[in-house]
Amino acid sequence: MEHLAVWIAALLTLGIISFLYKDNAWYKLSEAIFVGISAGYWFVVLFWDNVHGKFWTGVFPPEQYDAAGNVITEAPDYMLWVGAALGILMLMRLIPKIGWISRWPLAFIVGSTSGLYLINYFSSNMMRQVQGTIMPLFGMWPTDPTTGETVFQALPTYDIVGNVVILVGVFSGLVYFFFSKEHRGVFGATAKVGIFFLMVTFGASFGYTVMSRMSLLIGRVDFLFGTWLGLIK
Amino acid sequence: MRCRQPGHTPLLLLALILLFVSTDVCVAQSEPDPAGSLMADTARVTVAPPTSVIVTDHKYDNGDALELSWVPSIDDRIPGGKVVRYQVYRSVNEGEYLPIQELLPGSNFFLDESLHRDSVYSYYVTAYSRNDSAMSVATAPVSPQREWLHVDRAWLFVIALIISLAVFYFIRAARKGEDLFIRKIAGLEAVDEAIGRATEMGRPILYIPGILDMDDVQTLAAITILGRVARTVADYEIQVRMPVSRSLVMTAARETIKTAYQTAGRPDSYSDDMVQYVTDEQFGYVAAVDGIMVREKPATVFLLGAFFAESLILAETGNSINAIQIAGTARPAQLPFFIAACDFTLIGEELFAASAYLSGEPKQLGSLKGQDVGKFIAMVVIIIGVIAATLAQAWEVPFMQQVYDALTFVFSTQ
Amino acid sequence: MSTRTWELLVVAAVLIVSTIVYLGKVGGWIGGVSFSPAVSIIVIILIFLSLVWILVRTLRGSLVDRRIVFLFVGLAVVLPFFMSITQKIKISPEVQQLYDALEALPPGSKVLVSFDYDPPSAPELQPMAESFLRYCLRSDLKVIIIGLWPQGPQQADLALQIALEDPEIQSKSPQYGVDYVNLGFQAGNEFVIQRMGANIESMFPRDYFGAAYRDLPLVRNVKNFSNIDYSFNLSAGYPGTQEWVQVAVDRYGLRLGGGNTAVQAPMMYPYLNAGQLVGLLGGMNGAAEFELLTGVTGKGTKFMLSQSFAHMIVIAFVIIGNAAFFASGRRKPLEQGK
Repeated sequence: MEHLAVWIAALLTLGIISFLYKDNAWYKLSEAIFVGISAGYWFVVLFWDNVHGKFWTGVFPPEQYDAAGNVITEAPDYMLWVGAALGILMLMRLIPKIGWISRWPLAFIVGSTSGLYLINYFSSNMMRQVQGTIMPLFGMWPTDPTTGETVFQALPTYDIVGNVVILVGVFSGLVYFFFSKEHRGVFGATAKVGIFFLMVTFGASFGYTVMSRMSLLIGRVDFLFGTWLGLIK
Repeated sequence: MRCRQPGHTPLLLLALILLFVSTDVCVAQSEPDPAGSLMADTARVTVAPPTSVIVTDHKYDNGDALELSWVPSIDDRIPGGKVVRYQVYRSVNEGEYLPIQELLPGSNFFLDESLHRDSVYSYYVTAYSRNDSAMSVATAPVSPQREWLHVDRAWLFVIALIISLAVFYFIRAARKGEDLFIRKIAGLEAVDEAIGRATEMGRPILYIPGILDMDDVQTLAAITILGRVARTVADYEIQVRMPVSRSLVMTAARETIKTAYQTAGRPDSYSDDMVQYVTDEQFGYVAAVDGIMVREKPATVFLLGAFFAESLILAETGNSINAIQIAGTARPAQLPFFIAACDFTLIGEELFAASAYLSGEPKQLGSLKGQDVGKFIAMVVIIIGVIAATLAQAWEVPFMQQVYDALTFVFSTQ
Repeated sequence: MSTRTWELLVVAAVLIVSTIVYLGKVGGWIGGVSFSPAVSIIVIILIFLSLVWILVRTLRGSLVDRRIVFLFVGLAVVLPFFMSITQKIKISPEVQQLYDALEALPPGSKVLVSFDYDPPSAPELQPMAESFLRYCLRSDLKVIIIGLWPQGPQQADLALQIALEDPEIQSKSPQYGVDYVNLGFQAGNEFVIQRMGANIESMFPRDYFGAAYRDLPLVRNVKNFSNIDYSFNLSAGYPGTQEWVQVAVDRYGLRLGGGNTAVQAPMMYPYLNAGQLVGLLGGMNGAAEFELLTGVTGKGTKFMLSQSFAHMIVIAFVIIGNAAFFASGRRKPLEQGK
């Protein structure tokens, strides 16, 4: 069975990779198998993990035994019925005549996630980042703990350049995404600096992602030449 | 075992025998045990107790937690410390002290939860060595308090309120019909051009709304833009193909396109087959969309919404069939691929701006303008903060130090 | 012969050769292949000369077929598996920071590890997971595993199997429920994290194998994040490290280290710089660096040579592509001037 599983995985991998040469029947077969199995797999996972695993065992908890062999009876969680009802209302979308009902559970989900995200994103992605961007550019006057005197300490050149780059990048990036003013004159020039910073960031991100994609390919090659063919020592 | 000597003669012999035996045993016990363990086990390893045990109310909760802190035993603070564990004891309503939590050496804090506001609690902490213990002084009884407001987050609330009020103000202004200015977005002008190209070539348009569900704001933006694109497609009588990876997105998209065709006066040209559910699985969806691209060769591809690892695969495949590609996503990790492989890219918030611009919906327009207020606040605060920090730190200007401290306090979050 | 015939012959050849090699592997008469250092260097020189030839052809106006690029990338990834060359790995500050944070934990400390990825991201994150779990079990740190992605706990199980094969760990005989637990998957994304901040048991009433939370000695007294000494999140997308930072770190003060795919890693640096993350492992590179620090070589180190070669090929083709772009720009005015 294991041999069969390895061969099927290897042939499907090669089928998908063959797309790099050109579209062909082997790729089409692999694609169809993958799409079909993934749809079925996710249906099963979502059913057993959510519908059964969370809802059914929550409202009809099974008998449990502790280490001493005593029966533990968990109280049913009746709130799950509310969630189930909202879920059924969501499925009404599939029936055109009463599809409007699905807007209610959708509104609930969008509203609750918006409320949660508002604080999380606002706190972590705006407030903390603004706080992190406010920094001295050139140096500081730390207090000597033994003498109590303050002595000027210039920041290293590397840090000064870094702080200036961060400041210019953040500010010009914010200017670029400011939609209430046309990008003209000084404002437009600042926005251009912003897009320059964005492109440099995207280039760095692209490089990191190339590494990520190569890692996935390396994983597949390890499977083909290692697990399947056994050629790797 | 102790060695004894009784007085009477008949027992003397017995005693002497016993003495001989017990002496042997005593001697055996007094000889150093090669392993040293017997002597070590019986020797008491004394420890000093923890000190300065303080119990305080855990702030900003429902009145069900208390914080306990202490200075660890001095025997825990020296190298090779003798403390092996701490045990926290708690008394409820001046009742018996019971152990509630065991902690590792080096611990100096414990959060006691699931308490009752109406009860009073007192604690002490005991340090244990291998065979000794020392308890701290017990704390005075304390009750947990409930706080209704997280006062440390007051500034977070104030700034969120300012931005929210700005959003409401602009939504109201948009509803009244005021003209709210939004700058030109490059990718949008290409939408009509791209659809026109598809008409000339007689090939379909492929619209990919991302791979997340209807609860994601990027998908909502993509469906809003779809409405505009579908109206143009219906006017030009060309085909639109829309494979989706979520069933709810399928139904929302079908409604949108159907409405567009009805508005254009071509309800008979609409077909449910224009929007098809493929699979929830990410790469299964990608494989299917790639297949559609290569076989049907759409003239224009729209990639708008939330994408993950499949973004580069989709963009490259679209590039390989020489389609015009207009992409937009708010996920920074995917933007580089769209920028490299697509003809026009809506970067980040430009996707939402495009959605607002094309739909003209007051809520979207107002939200966009309100967000600009937030960005403006951030820009101003950063400039003032950096100037204040630099002047305060480099040139010791006292007032600037206060400004710097105030700004970092306001923007710190708890 | 037509192109189609050639294609069918190639497919047949691949299937026949792979069958023979597979039978050889099973039968034991074909073993691992390894190039000597001399052959490895010859291979590298040949690839380099090929690239130079492509560059020259490109400058002369013959553009390279994209399938040649795919072929070179394929060779760059496959051939290093057989080369006997080792690559020096330099430790980056964020990886060192994570390792230092772990080193500072006393034995018996509780470490929460969240497996938020699935098999497609396993080549990058599985080496990190194996290495991290191995380090924790060797250092007598107690490991509590959860997953916010459905396949996360399965990946954790696979990583644990590898970690438990370590001889040093076997000598300590770690016990499930005492030294490590797998609490399984819970749907709900960041809502789960938020609930865990108050009560972990409410989100994971039973572990991956169905045992009650209260029956597990390791987690019996673990109520919420305040009882966790350090947390490590292996993340491939949503929900992931960003959600953990926003909820667990900013709201509950949890100490968190991140293990991310290379796609996600750049987005985590703002959190690292702001002190919201204590250490970061980015991609396979991060895994290799962590393996170097822990002193146990794993897949991360094994794959780094392929990674480096692939990057060099990409850089070479970026140069070739730009050369083609500028050469075509110069050629047009020359042709117009004729």
